Amino acid sequence: MTVGLNAFLTVSGLLFAIGVFGVLLRRNTLVIYMSLELMLNAVNLALVSFSRYNATPEHTMMDGPVFVFFIITVAAAEVAVGLAIIVALYRKGGTVFVSELNTLNN
Amino acid sequence: MNNQLANYYEMAQDNTWLSILPEISLGVLALLLLVLELVLPKKRHDLIPRLALWGQAIILVVGIGHSSMGGAVSDLTSFNGLLIHSMRGEVLRFFFLLCSLLVCHMGIQYADRRGLPKVEFFHLILIVTAGLMLLAQSHNFVLLFVALETVTVGFYILVAYSRKSSFSLEAGLKYLILGAFSSSLLLFGIVLLYGAGGNPQLPGSSGDPMNFALLKVFIAANPDNILVLAGTVLVLCGLAFKIGAVPFQIWIPDVYQGAPTPVTAFLAVASKAGGFIVLINLAQGPFAPLKEMLVPFLGAIAILTILFGNLGALSQRNVKRLMGLSGIAHAGYLLLGVVASFTVPWAANAVVFYLFTYLLASFAVFGIMNQLAPMEDGNLSLDDFKNLARENPFYGAVLAIGLGSLAGIPPLAGFIGKLLIFIAAFKAGLYGILGVAVLGVVISIYYYFGWIMEAYFKPRLVSIKSEETPYGPDQFPATSSHRIVLGCLTAGTLILGFYQGALSYLL
Repeated sequence: MTVGLNAFLTVSGLLFAIGVFGVLLRRNTLVIYMSLELMLNAVNLALVSFSRYNATPEHTMMDGPVFVFFIITVAAAEVAVGLAIIVALYRKGGTVFVSELNTLNN
Repeated sequence: MNNQLANYYEMAQDNTWLSILPEISLGVLALLLLVLELVLPKKRHDLIPRLALWGQAIILVVGIGHSSMGGAVSDLTSFNGLLIHSMRGEVLRFFFLLCSLLVCHMGIQYADRRGLPKVEFFHLILIVTAGLMLLAQSHNFVLLFVALETVTVGFYILVAYSRKSSFSLEAGLKYLILGAFSSSLLLFGIVLLYGAGGNPQLPGSSGDPMNFALLKVFIAANPDNILVLAGTVLVLCGLAFKIGAVPFQIWIPDVYQGAPTPVTAFLAVASKAGGFIVLINLAQGPFAPLKEMLVPFLGAIAILTILFGNLGALSQRNVKRLMGLSGIAHAGYLLLGVVASFTVPWAANAVVFYLFTYLLASFAVFGIMNQLAPMEDGNLSLDDFKNLARENPFYGAVLAIGLGSLAGIPPLAGFIGKLLIFIAAFKAGLYGILGVAVLGVVISIYYYFGWIMEAYFKPRLVSIKSEETPYGPDQFPATSSHRIVLGCLTAGTLILGFYQGALSYLL
């Protein structure tokens, strides 16, 4: 039995949806962060499977897998900056829950 | 094997490194600043800000000289289709460099007053500017994403730059979460377009669907493909976040309030311009065949954005939030220009012209805000502007002209910018949105003039909260260089209102 493109895309779509709902619904900044990473990894999965299934002898579609490396790098940079901000904020306010971060409002 | 090598050789034929010399020199300058901080003795550290400013000024002048000598006027792709060199790209490079120069200049004063480190600030600004300049010329989704992320990650740090302020840190976290969220949406959209455009069973598919030109051919052949439509909508959602269009505008007031004032100015002008230039490149490139769907879609967003921004700003007393909300309204007018550019191609240039007028006026207003800001500059309110014009007529005049231009009062530059966009929208037949936009301008006059009223006619109250006393104009007298910059911005606003010849080749 071979696994088709649609199976990969379904998994990728599900992962992305879990990530979106995680960002929108969770209150802990670190969990929100993990959800963001999940969204990026869902994209990576879709990219790799598209380039695998769209490849033909003339067009090898290698730009998809190469793009994945760029995304991983960008995600790492985002995490580095994000965790630094979270740590600084925790030192300042003693909380990582978004509901308790409300200095900025009208 | 040799065959593949020959392929790569062919691909590398148009790697014209000289054409991205300004970006490379910005990167080198940014690294040089970090090295100098390590190498130079402490007492010579005052050289670094000077080097940063003069270095950028030299890149700016050389860049203009190069492009006015006919460096890259025709639409020419390089780096195997990654970059496109066009007149608009050149103009926007100039725009972004001008922004970074002004932000660095403002940042020196800001950092001095608050004891913040300066070198990293310049470094980040320079890297972000290089990213924005590449973004304006990108012709491929991979480069677009990488350049956009360079800009966004830089902005995360810049927004949270004043580490001792809980305002700044909270703004940084909010920007980070929502920025990363929108980047993921954009990325998923790109992947869907890539997947559809590379499908060998569909007509018009190609081996390089990340390329704008090839993607345009594919979308024109399959305008009803569900993956294409979903991908387009997701890409536009990601961009709507960057420009602050409804329904992705929710971060703007908070982040603008919390970020250090120079960074707020940079976000308001450069980041917004970056989003719009990508939007224009996409609207005139790959998404042009989807005109039937995108005109009503983006039109509805433009209407909501104009109304939200203007109505939200009406009752706002906090100046930075006010600038944020009115910035949303400006994004709405610009979006109207983008919608019109589907039908009337010169509308894209009207958008660029509007961005220039917005730059001149915004930096003048932000410059004044930077002068008056208290230590915790997120607290700057309209009350701090009371009696400004009497205490310091020069600031009063700069503020009045800047705000007048933002409101679009003739004969200032902002009026011409709005007029051009509205004419384009009229020619494109977008009468409904045009009506809303005119209504929005009328509303905006109310709050902008409320601000001018505070500065000119209201006496200053004796401040009760003594620690939070704003710096009066006398406590930290502006150096002559700040006065010159503010004067130049104001003069630019006035001149561009009467004489558009300087930028008329855009139209």
